[in-house]
Amino acid sequence: MQNTKTGDFRNVPEGESWRSFLYRNIYIFSAVLVVSVFYIINPSFLSLYSIQNITREMAPLLPMACGIGFVLYTGCIDLSIGAVASAACVITGLNVADVGHWIIPMMLAFGVLIGIVNGSLVSRIKLPSFIVTLCAQSVYRAAAIVLSGGGSQNIALKQRYLVNWMSAIVFGLPLMFWISLGIVLACLIIERNTKLGKSIFAIGANEKAARLAGVDTVRTKTMAFMLCAVGAAIGGVMYAYKLKSSVPAIGDDKFMMAISSVALGGTLFSGGRGSALRTLVGVITVISISSGMNMAGVDPLWNNVVFGIVLIVAVAINSEKGIRDLIIK
Amino acid sequence: MKTFDRQAMTVAEEFVSKVEREARSSLIRVYAPMILLVVMTIGFSIYDSHFFSMKNLSNILGQMAVPLTLATGLTFVLLIGRIDLSVEGVMGLVGSAIALLVVNSRNSNDWGIWGVIVPIIAGLLFGLITGILHVRLRIATFIITYATGTIAAGIAVLLYHSQPATAKAQWIIDASRTTFLNIPLITWIAVAFFAVCCVILNYTAFGRAVYAIGDNEAAARASGINVSKVTIQVFVLSSFAASLAGVLALIRLKLGQVSLGTDQMFPCITALVVGGTSLAGGKGGMLQTMVGTLIYMELLNFLTIIQVPADYKKAILGVIIIVAVVLTLTRGRKTIAK
Amino acid sequence: MNQEILFTTENIGKTYGVNTVLQGINVEIRRGEIVGLIGENGAGKSTLLKIIAGVEQPTVGTMEMNGKPFSPASMLDANRQGIGMVFQEQSLISNLTVAQNIYLGRERDFSSFGLINWSRMNARAREALNKMGLKDISPKARVRDLDFAMRQMVEITKVLDIVSETANNRALILLDEPTTVLSDAEMAVLFEKVRQMKEKGNSVIFISHRLQEVLQITDRIYVFKDGRQTAEVRTEGADEYILYEKMVGRETNGEYYVSARQTVPGADVVLEVENMSLFGSFRNVSFKLHKGEVLGLCGVEGSGKEDVCGVISGDLASTSGELKVRGKRVKFASPGDARRAGIISVPRDRRDEGIIGILPISENISVSNYEKNAAHGLISNRRQDRNAREWVRSLSIKCAGVAQRVSNLSGGNAQKVIFARVLDSECPILILDHPTRGVDLGAKGDIYALIRDITEKGFSVLLMGDTLDECLGVSSRVIVMKDGLVCGEFDCPADNKPDQVDVVKLML
Repeated sequence: MQNTKTGDFRNVPEGESWRSFLYRNIYIFSAVLVVSVFYIINPSFLSLYSIQNITREMAPLLPMACGIGFVLYTGCIDLSIGAVASAACVITGLNVADVGHWIIPMMLAFGVLIGIVNGSLVSRIKLPSFIVTLCAQSVYRAAAIVLSGGGSQNIALKQRYLVNWMSAIVFGLPLMFWISLGIVLACLIIERNTKLGKSIFAIGANEKAARLAGVDTVRTKTMAFMLCAVGAAIGGVMYAYKLKSSVPAIGDDKFMMAISSVALGGTLFSGGRGSALRTLVGVITVISISSGMNMAGVDPLWNNVVFGIVLIVAVAINSEKGIRDLIIK
Repeated sequence: MKTFDRQAMTVAEEFVSKVEREARSSLIRVYAPMILLVVMTIGFSIYDSHFFSMKNLSNILGQMAVPLTLATGLTFVLLIGRIDLSVEGVMGLVGSAIALLVVNSRNSNDWGIWGVIVPIIAGLLFGLITGILHVRLRIATFIITYATGTIAAGIAVLLYHSQPATAKAQWIIDASRTTFLNIPLITWIAVAFFAVCCVILNYTAFGRAVYAIGDNEAAARASGINVSKVTIQVFVLSSFAASLAGVLALIRLKLGQVSLGTDQMFPCITALVVGGTSLAGGKGGMLQTMVGTLIYMELLNFLTIIQVPADYKKAILGVIIIVAVVLTLTRGRKTIAK
Repeated sequence: MNQEILFTTENIGKTYGVNTVLQGINVEIRRGEIVGLIGENGAGKSTLLKIIAGVEQPTVGTMEMNGKPFSPASMLDANRQGIGMVFQEQSLISNLTVAQNIYLGRERDFSSFGLINWSRMNARAREALNKMGLKDISPKARVRDLDFAMRQMVEITKVLDIVSETANNRALILLDEPTTVLSDAEMAVLFEKVRQMKEKGNSVIFISHRLQEVLQITDRIYVFKDGRQTAEVRTEGADEYILYEKMVGRETNGEYYVSARQTVPGADVVLEVENMSLFGSFRNVSFKLHKGEVLGLCGVEGSGKEDVCGVISGDLASTSGELKVRGKRVKFASPGDARRAGIISVPRDRRDEGIIGILPISENISVSNYEKNAAHGLISNRRQDRNAREWVRSLSIKCAGVAQRVSNLSGGNAQKVIFARVLDSECPILILDHPTRGVDLGAKGDIYALIRDITEKGFSVLLMGDTLDECLGVSSRVIVMKDGLVCGEFDCPADNKPDQVDVVKLML
């Protein structure tokens, strides 16, 4: 009980009931359950080929999920990450042939810019985050469609060498998955070992108290939105590299998958609790569900229904029972 | 010991004048949308003389049915300070389901009137479930309605499996052709629904409870109002509005697919906020909803007249809503927005 | 006034956790009587009213209304039995009309087929308003368009109307500081109405900080102190001085406040406030805070002292005036700016503004100074825990470990965690806003000793005490505020504390 970290879950009283133990670790159980169910249905679910596929699917979702995690830790939400990923995917797909790898830093800057706009509107002008990001969603979705001319465009075959490296297999798994794991690690360090990360959790847990304790709430919240948008932009770039084309609709269902992953990881949607490591497990669960259903021959149209239900159940299980006297809107 | 003289003017008087100043500025915010509507109408008419023509006006009113219906239902949700992001999904689900249950191009169903009633009941069920989950599990509405909306849209897609049905029932075809005073029937239905909701909001205990909850939830509870029950009822009403909008959209387009609902909610929230309904609850009403919807319809019409491409329109609306929210915001340095 | 007894309490007490806020209360209200409740902040007056009104439940004791046992489960329940309360912070719905507010939740009486007959409701509201003599308030007016006095009247009308449905002029109306927002003329109107209610046989319990008002309107006065009922005074023949004495008059124990270790403030001015004003809250406040000094701010709630501290801690922005820290002019946009300038506060509302409940003790302590445990820009959680354990030891915080959630600690220990936080921030100027509110006796002593420790080290403290006694006992100097203005200043050397009656006279 001595080693504590922000957002860590070890701070529970001794003699806890098996039930709270179950609830605290439900993210592990759900991941194990999902993987084993699909393994039983189809043993090739855990074959090397399948695992390579699953990790390739996971790679772009991880930065998005970890990014939106920061916003959720503050108690806000960012509904625009799907649209931002779409826009980033389109811009990357259309321009990578011309500017080469410079597209990556350019897209990071794009994410920073978007995050600063969203974050400033929420933190400085104090608009509700869901309305700001709902508007941002419609702006960037329109941008993605306008830029791409409405449909997917493949990257020309002779330019493919520019993007193929991302899909190369390194140590048995795709390179982009290793990159995403690196991003998870970076997020973990931000969460646990930086002033920014700790301030984010403090704001989410009690914004008034954090502000009076001298935490710079405006700057911290803006930074959280910035990390989130950067994560979404990285996700978009990865989709472009992975699919080798610009797809304006790629992000449409990714918000749902990202937020379900974070919810499955036990993040408290009212803020103040969560961790990138647990989000990683959540992403494993979510991608296992979508890939597993796919391999089991389930119509992919079921995805939205399944993730909708997963999201509600996960949020309900993880809601903080101790703050029930608050008015939740 | 030193004692200081008291000054003539009291700080309490300053406090009162401060409160009065705030009251005045809130009054301006109530009338600003109406002035904006008049100014816009005059301005657009000057820019393009066709704008104020009978033909264009009936065109505007003809397109108003769906936004007005949705906005009417959402008014209640916003008044209690909640949000309902599920209306698009419910609308798509109801429209798609009806298209598959009446005489259509996909199957041999002919449920007659039940083909409308059953999907609407399904739509209401979504509102009921949303409301109960929100009240019992205490999940914030933007997240729960996002999830239920996604589920509704997902079910709709599963129903028609990427081959949407074309509704061929005679009554749908008739309804789409019927006009009265040059205005389509569906607009009249929307206006009738709007009128009924005016009565509900202004002449029932439920309507008063809605205002009370939005203004001061704790005080409402103390006055003996069953806040949970009213909240659930509001979500059911909103899902009924979404279902009705689904029916109207189907009558207009006759193709039962999820995209009936796509991009419908966002303009409605724009309309409500522009009209002066506060996202924080308690402020707004049916008049504001009507004014906001008209502003939105005129603006949309004008953007079409000056030939702005559809995708740019969405982006422009996104910016407008942000500006409108900023203007209607009650300022307070310490308010916390999530 | 007749002698028929309407309402009694028997040995009522209220405890929150280990903290007793009310104890052994026996009050007796006769029909047609106006009874005043007076006492300092935190004396338990409001708590008693809330218990009577059914908002809170007593921990011990019983009540009787009309000779029958009375134990309301909720406010509505109390209403049905003839008791209604008008709250300090008004509970009207500002967007609804006067009539709609009066009959909120009771619309059924006016509906047919679910539709409300507004003209019938307005007519009934007209009658109810007329009964109160409020002929110039329209039932159709929106509450937000009324001024405060009128709102107060409407609120009273509402309560009276609800209560009189069953009580038939045997109602008990509870008024919790109804006059704080009213002007003199408005107050006269209010008193007039209260007397009319009394004439009809209703009874009123009246809380106010303004003793003149209490003397003017009541028949009898109960004096409360530290959650106990200490005196009962007949208004006839009483004057303010008698009331002051009854309200204060506690033997101050120098040892209790560790006065022996009270510092004599140095000559260096660390904080200087010059002619500072906040529109609508306070005006032209000036004072100096010296090194090693405890400066107390006295005044009743609403005197502006809270906002003075709010401005100094960066929470509020002043409208005019200057703030100097160690001679340098500063302007704070947020508490973060104030912290960087060396000012940090212990907030009054511990649960809401102090502790970050779901985070562990270690995080709560280091939130104001993350840099302390960082090397090369990264924070070491091991160092952070070690640092927290040191604070837990030196302030003797009782907990299962530094990983324990702060929301699981008792009030006193949670407060010590917040003290650890502000001390960890290494800010030399501390603003203590009711640092002992809701803290048990042992922890109070620890906190007083702690204040002595830090002032010996050269920290300066701006204190708003929970009671006047505490404020005078702990401070080296106090400033008295009333109605937004500084109205007096007293030196409080350890061996010669000023008389509480003198201070109270300026406050009220």
